[in-house]
Amino acid sequence: MLITGIKSKPVYAPLRADAGGRYHLMLGIGPGGIALLRVLAEMRGSAPDAIKNTRLLFAANTPAADAADTVAQFKQIGLGSVSLFDDPASLLDTFRTVLDESLMGTRLYVAGPESFIGLAMKIALQFDLNKDEIRAEEMGTLARRVYCVHCRTTTEEVRTNIVRCAGCERWLQVRDHYSRRLAAYMGVMVDAEAPGEVPPVKEVFV
Amino acid sequence: MNDAQTLAVEVTAIEQVTPLIKHFKLGSADGGALPAFSGGSHIIVVMRGALRMHRNPYSLLSSPRDLDHYEIGVRRMEESRGGSHFMHDRVHVGSRLEIAHPVNLFGLDKIARKHVLIAGGIGITPFLAQIEDLHGAAVPYELHYSVRSPEHAAFLSRLREREGERLKMYYDSEGQAIDFDGLLSNQPLGTHVYVCGPAGLIDRVVATAKACGWPGSHIHWEQFSAPPVGDAFEVFLARAKLTVHVPPDQSLLESIEAAGVEVPYLCRGGVCGFCQTRVLELDGELVHNDHFLSDADKAQGKNIMPCVSRARCKHLVLDL
Amino acid sequence: MKAIFKPHETFRDDFSFCNSGQAIRRFPLPFPEDEYMYSVNIEPHVSGPKGSVVEFAFDVDEHYVAECRERELVLAAEPLRFQALPHMLSAQWDCLELIMESLARDYPAHFSLAKLGNRWHWINRPLGLDQQFIFGDVDTLPRQPLDYIGRQAQGDFVVMDQRENDLWTEAGVVTTQADWSLDFDMGMTFKEWHGPVPLAHEMQVFDRALKYLLNLRLGQPVRRLNWTMTIHPRLDTSPENYPKWGPDRTTVTAQNAGDLVHLRVELQGLWRLPRSNAIVFGIRCYLISMRELATVPKWARRVHRVLKNLHPALVDYKGLTRYRDAVVEWLAPYDDGTPTTPGTAPE
Repeated sequence: MLITGIKSKPVYAPLRADAGGRYHLMLGIGPGGIALLRVLAEMRGSAPDAIKNTRLLFAANTPAADAADTVAQFKQIGLGSVSLFDDPASLLDTFRTVLDESLMGTRLYVAGPESFIGLAMKIALQFDLNKDEIRAEEMGTLARRVYCVHCRTTTEEVRTNIVRCAGCERWLQVRDHYSRRLAAYMGVMVDAEAPGEVPPVKEVFV
Repeated sequence: MNDAQTLAVEVTAIEQVTPLIKHFKLGSADGGALPAFSGGSHIIVVMRGALRMHRNPYSLLSSPRDLDHYEIGVRRMEESRGGSHFMHDRVHVGSRLEIAHPVNLFGLDKIARKHVLIAGGIGITPFLAQIEDLHGAAVPYELHYSVRSPEHAAFLSRLREREGERLKMYYDSEGQAIDFDGLLSNQPLGTHVYVCGPAGLIDRVVATAKACGWPGSHIHWEQFSAPPVGDAFEVFLARAKLTVHVPPDQSLLESIEAAGVEVPYLCRGGVCGFCQTRVLELDGELVHNDHFLSDADKAQGKNIMPCVSRARCKHLVLDL
Repeated sequence: MKAIFKPHETFRDDFSFCNSGQAIRRFPLPFPEDEYMYSVNIEPHVSGPKGSVVEFAFDVDEHYVAECRERELVLAAEPLRFQALPHMLSAQWDCLELIMESLARDYPAHFSLAKLGNRWHWINRPLGLDQQFIFGDVDTLPRQPLDYIGRQAQGDFVVMDQRENDLWTEAGVVTTQADWSLDFDMGMTFKEWHGPVPLAHEMQVFDRALKYLLNLRLGQPVRRLNWTMTIHPRLDTSPENYPKWGPDRTTVTAQNAGDLVHLRVELQGLWRLPRSNAIVFGIRCYLISMRELATVPKWARRVHRVLKNLHPALVDYKGLTRYRDAVVEWLAPYDDGTPTTPGTAPE
């Protein structure tokens, strides 16, 4: 069974401004703020009017002091609006409302841990935003959401190649096969053929 | 993948619905039901004229739920190569025609949150079928129909009755024009726009949508245009070992077909890529009229879409 | 083919499934030569030789009733083996029409379909079903259309919507799969769904297949063969139930390989659907034990050679690692080195 090298695994790239968009909506978690600042600097250089049409939702998700500088920079740029959140979940709730009011011509930029990107994309899917309208850069932890194909439970914050399912407690091999609909990677019982023979567990998604 | 499976149909009714447009009803020649289809599909109608054969695509405008007959609308083209004239002048009630199975290159996007339909003139035809699928469903839609003057608005009473407020008419004769920018700058996320009609209308809509930030995947268009005419030229088919003469008013594809060689095709309009043919030798230049090959491909000159493209050349050899 | 149904055959527990001589002779061997590698081996799905598995659009064989019962068991335990996104309802109706019309036309002794406008009357004699309903009206059927008809056809069905120049897996009934999960793959594009297949992407097999399928025409379906191997004649080798069938792979020996190891061939058919413009992918599974296979001398020699020389990535992907050598050893006495004729005919 292929574990890595699977073509459904999402591939991310450093965020670049999309000049084709008329409105820009940016979501950032923690270190993702740096990627967003970079894009905004690029916009300021190439299309300054775009800044006024840009809305930013940001959750530091770290001790306030670390993010203070990033937040201060956001406030100085002249964005259309800046909204700050205590955690990713409340950010995503507001994101859904914002999408409901958004118009065609909007571009979405997401920067943060992969799991957050997945959850944001899941919401974006409901509004028929497709890959031409979304750019994402992975920043922060690579920890994964893993969907157990046997009991259908999702285990969060998985940093290891093999994990115990939060639902059925089987040891699962974490594969690179990824579902946008579930915003999770596939977990399959690792010792199904030889019960008890679990390979060494390694921390790989840090 | 071409005429291998055609259906025999009989014309059961003809109506002149505007000065330029005739409405044809077609029933299955053996009296059975016609194949089901999706709104936006077209059929290729094969017309056997005295001098030559015509194969023209026409959108199905009938309801996909009513398979006793198909309905098409044919606009009489001023500079015609004969196809529309054939339909207008030589086809009567009772005439038999061959048609290919419906093909859909202009389907509604099933996960759209709203549909904006824009029709110019005869371009209304695919939308007539599509609104049958949209009517009564949960997804909002609107139809913007632009014509020269009220007498040129085909199927207007049918549309008005069915669509009410969802239909907006624009008459050139009364100086009414679609406000493309206004229309396309104010649509919710997940809207798709569909345009069918003259090239000018399509270009305006596509350009305006892009300027408003719409991605290409939310912009759909279908154009009915006859293959452009051009200078006559000769082409040698390497595998068939035949020289084919291409007269000014016959497309390269039609000329090859007239010589008895089959080329796979789908849309016959330079959009789908199905008839893409390799150019083996060329002394001259290709005249690319298609929307399929990239600019780089066109410049390279290694491929041609014979349905709409031509050549100005002393020597041309194709891999057919 | 005149099918004599064996309704009590099982594909689990006591595994009473077996093939009659007739079923063995018509088995769709996927190896036209002594080596195997991926290709876009698509061909028109037109009527083939009388009595063959491709004589008709959907093949009904001696295992029909037993397979339908097996499907009912899987769906009762796991309803999510049937899923359909809301916008796929017209595609579901298209599938129901395709399957009902094909079965009634090709097996009139077993199935009949009468229509009065959109009032349809369907009779399935082998399963004892008699259903009147209104085509297009979900409330007149006991289940959603694909769920309803899927329980009356052999093989899995996956329905893909066509948009944005791609195909999207958005409905299906999948209970006889070779280790992939509809639940997990719902919503994936064609290439994402095939993500876990090694090598083929580098060979651009999926790019070419996708381009071909995007232009698939109404009335011109295509087909191809795919294969893997299964221990015991078990149809449900889903990832969901891997804990149940996984251990079987360690029980194979060179002595029991003839009875335990089955060649599993998928006859895949692809049809353009009329009202939805979607594509339905039918995946029909045929199983044959090595012992049954070896009753055809050419096939025994051929399969011995194919397995012995199979590319390691394919051995791994097809799950053969633990027992491939045992099967090769079991088949070896049947291979005296005589050349095999090209093609799959028994000789």
